[in-house]
Amino acid sequence: MTSALSLTSIGVRFDDSTILDSVDLTVERGEWVGLIGPNGAGKTTLLRAITGSVSFEGSVEISGGSSSAMKRRELARSVALVPQTPVLPPGMRVVDYVLLGRTPHLGEVTGPSLHDLESVAGVLEALSLSEFMDREVATLSGGELQRVVIARALAQESPILLLDEPTTALDIGKQQSVLDLVDSLRRTRDLTVLSAMHDLTIAGQFPDRLVLLSAGSVVAEGRGREVLDPELIRAHFGAEVRIFDDGFGGIVVVPVRAQEDRNASNPKPTK
Amino acid sequence: MTGDEIRPSHLHWWWFAGALAVLGVVVVTASLLGAVHLDASSIVASLADRLPFVEIDSGMTDREEAILWDLRMPRIVLGGIVGATLAVAGGAYQGSFRNPLADPYLLGVAAGAGLGATVAIVYGPAIPSVPFGPLPLLAFLGGIGGVAATYAIGYSVRAGRTAVTLILAGVAVAAFLTSVQTYLQQRNAETLREVYGWILGRLSTVGWTEVWMVLPYVVVATVVILAGARRLDVLSVGDDEAVTLGVDPRRVRLVVVLAATLGTAAVVAVSGLIGFVGIIVPHTIRIVFGTSYRIVLPLSVVFGAAFLILADLLARTISAPAEIPIGVVTAFFGAPFFAVVLRSSRGLGS
Repeated sequence: MTSALSLTSIGVRFDDSTILDSVDLTVERGEWVGLIGPNGAGKTTLLRAITGSVSFEGSVEISGGSSSAMKRRELARSVALVPQTPVLPPGMRVVDYVLLGRTPHLGEVTGPSLHDLESVAGVLEALSLSEFMDREVATLSGGELQRVVIARALAQESPILLLDEPTTALDIGKQQSVLDLVDSLRRTRDLTVLSAMHDLTIAGQFPDRLVLLSAGSVVAEGRGREVLDPELIRAHFGAEVRIFDDGFGGIVVVPVRAQEDRNASNPKPTK
Repeated sequence: MTGDEIRPSHLHWWWFAGALAVLGVVVVTASLLGAVHLDASSIVASLADRLPFVEIDSGMTDREEAILWDLRMPRIVLGGIVGATLAVAGGAYQGSFRNPLADPYLLGVAAGAGLGATVAIVYGPAIPSVPFGPLPLLAFLGGIGGVAATYAIGYSVRAGRTAVTLILAGVAVAAFLTSVQTYLQQRNAETLREVYGWILGRLSTVGWTEVWMVLPYVVVATVVILAGARRLDVLSVGDDEAVTLGVDPRRVRLVVVLAATLGTAAVVAVSGLIGFVGIIVPHTIRIVFGTSYRIVLPLSVVFGAAFLILADLLARTISAPAEIPIGVVTAFFGAPFFAVVLRSSRGLGS
């Protein structure tokens, strides 16, 4: 069976600097892969290469078909992105915002069909957003907004969902509910998920598999326990951490305070 | 919840019908007022008589008919066309650049047209005769040339090119063209008054000539802009996100901006630089009716027309028989009106 998403030798360069260098990555249908790595490792750029927002070398295959051979609308029907910092159009209501997700399905001139509206209704209900339908997006709280942005991506009905640090601005309760939601949606809607993640403990809880990206290259990949390794994290994040099994199959990453006897060249843990 | 309960923002037909009614009242009012008194009921009858399949005797004399149809109506219709185009082009520019301050004169149209008009006025006698005279032609070409230069510079920027890059390129082009225009104007002081009069905007007509001259450009521009309304809504979430929704932001921007520029250059060629219409009309509609471009753009066409006809009415009646430049009227009455609208809004458009 072909993989849902298959990246081969992806390279992205801006002028003289190399952002991504020869990245290979495969995500199977229904799988959730977490993309971790220090700031500037190229996580967001990799997601943007998949959506066609940046030009890249190498190939992106979606269900076996090359993304560069797909029309923009066709690509949007295959891959949806939840951006890290969504742009909120002033005055736009939640219902109109979620309906934007239907754009790749709309005709050139015709407005939304009943099917498009049904799809929006279904998504709003599934994400408990019906009551927010007429609110302006700019007035929502962080947790509500994140659900609305996910709703827009789901309205696209694309089998692959990319999430760019979806929980960065949220408190621990909202983080959990958003990620639980993604987890249940991928089961009920049979989604393939690739998410860039900032918080390593959360990365150790939700995805099936992790990929560690550093300075534009994949430096480790595998199950949580294999990638969330103190040596790897020291080498690539410059952080001293302890790693624990939570006893339920998840992993906990705890930064430790720098101790005086530690080598001064060892940077203070950042996380 | 079902699809029937989903009510996305859209242009209600009664909003559009109401806007048309406002425009109708403004047209009749504007055709009533002038040096010669015409009767309101006769005007309505004469207007209706011009509709297909309608025959009504307006009861007007031939002279009155001529005043209405050869003097007042051409000017009213031209005002409507200019106002509609400036307003819809303003809305189109604001959507394309996601910038509430964008107006139809952005990107060097005004400065280019100003230079073209100045050249035509200064060197008029030396220019071979062209249909409609050299001024509209040179103003039109100047406007288009200004935008072409802006695009050439904006697109030559390779790293970090954004929508703002193009606006900055427009600032540079406008500054350069204005300096040339000012130099020409100072060197030929005897034409100062005429150049200045053009820059402040005026609607003067010789029968229906000007209307027929601009109509083709304006129709094409308006149709293209209105057809892009849904894509401009998608662009409001930013270029990156628009791409993930299957829209090519650069192509949308190019097509919409070219259409808006074509329309603007055409109307500037016959009306001069009438300011403020392209800012206040779309913004007022946003505040009152909603921010979707599927609402803003069609209503801008109708309310833009009504606004400029009204402004022209004031321009020619306030100190009759003298006329005030219409650009002075649009700003003098438009700015305070807009300030009131803005105060009562919740700060949209930022």
